[in-house]
Amino acid sequence: MSRSSSLEDIPDQCKDLFTQDGVLLKACLGRPVTDLNSIGMLCIVQNPDQTKSIEWRPNDLITIDSDAQDQEWAVVNTIGITMSFAKGRRQRTLSGNITSDYATARARIIKISLDELKTFRVTRNNQQMQFSTKPGVWQTTFYFQHGNAEIFVAYLKNHIKTAKTRHDRNTYVVVEPNIESQVLNRSFAELDIFTENTTDVVWNLMSNLRQRPYETTMEAFSKLTDIVYYGNEGMNGKRDVSEEVADLLTKSMSAIEDSTTLTRTDEYEVISVKPTLPPRPSIPRGTPLSTEKWDGLQDTEGRVTEVEGVKQLIFRGGVAHSIRQSVWKYLLDYHPWHMTHAELRALTKKRTEEYFSMKLQWRSMTEGQEARFSEYRDRKSLVEKDVNRTDRTHPFYAGDNNPNLVILQDILMTYVMYNFDLGYVQGMSDILAPLLLLLGNEVDSFWCFVGFMDKIASNFDMDQAGMKLQLVQLQQLLLFASPELAQHLAQKDSGNMYFCFRWLLVWFKREFSYRDIMRLWEVLWTELPCANFHLLICVAILDAEKDILISKDYGFTEILKHVNDLSMCLDVDKILSTAEGIYHQVVSAPHLTDQIRVILGLPTLNISTSTHSESEQASTSKVENGTDRNERNMFGQDMDEGTLEYNGIQISIVTKTVWALLA
Amino acid sequence: MSSRKKVLLKVIILGDSGVGKTSLMNQFVNKKFSNQYKATIGADFLTKEVIVDDRIVTMQIWDTAGQERFQSLGVAFYRGADCCVLVFDVTAPNTFKSLESWRDEFLIQASPRDPDNFPFVILGNKVDLDNRAVSAKRAQQWCQSKNDIPYFETSAKEAVNVELAFQTIARNALAQETEAELYNEFPDQIKLNANDNGRNRDGDNCAC
Repeated sequence: MSRSSSLEDIPDQCKDLFTQDGVLLKACLGRPVTDLNSIGMLCIVQNPDQTKSIEWRPNDLITIDSDAQDQEWAVVNTIGITMSFAKGRRQRTLSGNITSDYATARARIIKISLDELKTFRVTRNNQQMQFSTKPGVWQTTFYFQHGNAEIFVAYLKNHIKTAKTRHDRNTYVVVEPNIESQVLNRSFAELDIFTENTTDVVWNLMSNLRQRPYETTMEAFSKLTDIVYYGNEGMNGKRDVSEEVADLLTKSMSAIEDSTTLTRTDEYEVISVKPTLPPRPSIPRGTPLSTEKWDGLQDTEGRVTEVEGVKQLIFRGGVAHSIRQSVWKYLLDYHPWHMTHAELRALTKKRTEEYFSMKLQWRSMTEGQEARFSEYRDRKSLVEKDVNRTDRTHPFYAGDNNPNLVILQDILMTYVMYNFDLGYVQGMSDILAPLLLLLGNEVDSFWCFVGFMDKIASNFDMDQAGMKLQLVQLQQLLLFASPELAQHLAQKDSGNMYFCFRWLLVWFKREFSYRDIMRLWEVLWTELPCANFHLLICVAILDAEKDILISKDYGFTEILKHVNDLSMCLDVDKILSTAEGIYHQVVSAPHLTDQIRVILGLPTLNISTSTHSESEQASTSKVENGTDRNERNMFGQDMDEGTLEYNGIQISIVTKTVWALLA
Repeated sequence: MSSRKKVLLKVIILGDSGVGKTSLMNQFVNKKFSNQYKATIGADFLTKEVIVDDRIVTMQIWDTAGQERFQSLGVAFYRGADCCVLVFDVTAPNTFKSLESWRDEFLIQASPRDPDNFPFVILGNKVDLDNRAVSAKRAQQWCQSKNDIPYFETSAKEAVNVELAFQTIARNALAQETEAELYNEFPDQIKLNANDNGRNRDGDNCAC
């Protein structure tokens, strides 16, 4: 979705006030059936005469290409488009293009004037909307594929006055159309939050394309190339483009020269530079945090003071198995680092009591109570079903009447009482099983599980928003770090990255053995070297499969199968090392975008727009600043960094403190 | 339709969590049963070649997670389905009650060309257990009321009716596939028919 306060209004053009992607046209009176069941964008638009309408545009009106150098126009998946509009991203080239079916598609636009709209209703879990301009007939029916119609209705209500009917609370009757809209519009414009709307860009382009196709295309290409590679500066013409290119070339990230071409046309200079990542450093893994070091890191009373240093050591090499029981409690926020032994004992006592009182809440439920409490009953049965099929081949959980299954069940049921709103969601038993195996203790496992869930709770959202966001972010990271593969996936209907769903939901639990998943998780819990490092793990795994996926020209099903079949065939240390290498490649890339910075939790460079930095992706870093800043961010403020030079890139690996610890 | 080109039938298995979707698929494809299948996360599929009316066809059987909240992501996998298998557990009445919403959800998300005649098959699984709670009669009545959906009582554990059910699934899916080919050859004719159907459906929607 995006809201618009378009700066340049072309007189004869409609202005989008609100748009929602992924809306399926289910039914429309008077339209041939071939028009139905197609996906499009539902908008509230302001017409040139200041009246307003609801407008639905089929998606095939807009094509988006991810690489301006390509001759062919590829339509990327709907979710991709949705999110890219929403974030206003620029890093991927956006361009409007007239397809051969343009006129046909144009004729398929559905327009309902707000002045004529009499009633509308929202049904099917808020996912379906129907409109009517005369009583008794629902003329059009739309289905909201992503999310629901709530936001659309909320915005629609800004432009019309409605009342709910008495007999049906899902039906709205329009009372006075278009009364308050003027005022509202102005206030949005004055707020000026959304400096530019990508949808507008596309629409402006389209209207221009009709009049002067060649020039517009060229202009678009050159502008977009500027945005992609040089950010706003290039766009505003403050800096000579060729000067920028020269700069880039001197930075000489090897292959750039070969991939730069300058084409002179009559009036326009088309510049195409393939952005190249710096070479990937190969960073060796370290040794696990040992018992001796761990003991040495605690003061006489048991406080851990060098938290950052400890985390870095764990990031580098994990934790020795013998001390995992202790260290994990810290990593999972059960034990605060700064507490003394005495304080921890008190905390443990308190948490133990708390746990058993919550456990009692469900243990004391009578059969009768349970019979009348369907929500509770459903959850209990879901937990039972899953516990009975969690890692049953592992000796710890194998066999009939295994007492560990009872503990697994008890912890998950108590978690239902701890967080009833979330309840039990499939995947949680996978998350808990290794914790219980390692910790062996019900109370400790519960609280560590709580800590782990706090880190990944959004994976289990009812609306799956957290998962969807991660899939989109993963796609964006891949596009930056491994563009060739990202493009292949997009062409094969796999740009939505659904085949990585299992990886993300349970943090790769199904892909590795117990030994390896413990290593991977403890590294990820350090939250180093950046936010969402688990997404870079995905990128690392996929990048290693790139050649197979592309050379065998795998399609949607083969990609999914191939990825599913990687389970238990992955080398955790190699992947961690690759992911770290990719991290360094990405953050030191001259064309690093704010969009990627946001995903990795790095400070964005566009400070003035920090409140909506996600929608401002066009800026380009000064290479030197960008790198410094990112590296600093990696280890906090204090540190004198120990650096390693690799192919001309300075890489901060560990701080002095950690060097000392390592010694 | 006498063409001997390779036919791929896409079959989607849906139903509540723990009714035995993965087990049925594995029993049919691998002739194996295990108590140890993990809950399905995301989606997976298995393929098997079968012979239907002297034709060799490949069945691609899709298995997705059963918990409701994961369905919004299952959609990506429904596209192009030739048959949808709805599974419930005969010992769990709730899983039977869910059939209707699974069917509706599938029709909405997959948007098949001709929803009224899209082939479904219902499987009442776990008939090997003694604590049965949904009678065969009740299940059959429901299936009859829904445009005579074929109904089978199965046990993935003891391989009861699994082969037979999947033969029917393949046959019905193939019929669907064949119709689709016909449609492509005469697009104009279909428009009219489908349009009528569309109108009827519209009427149904209004009544909801």
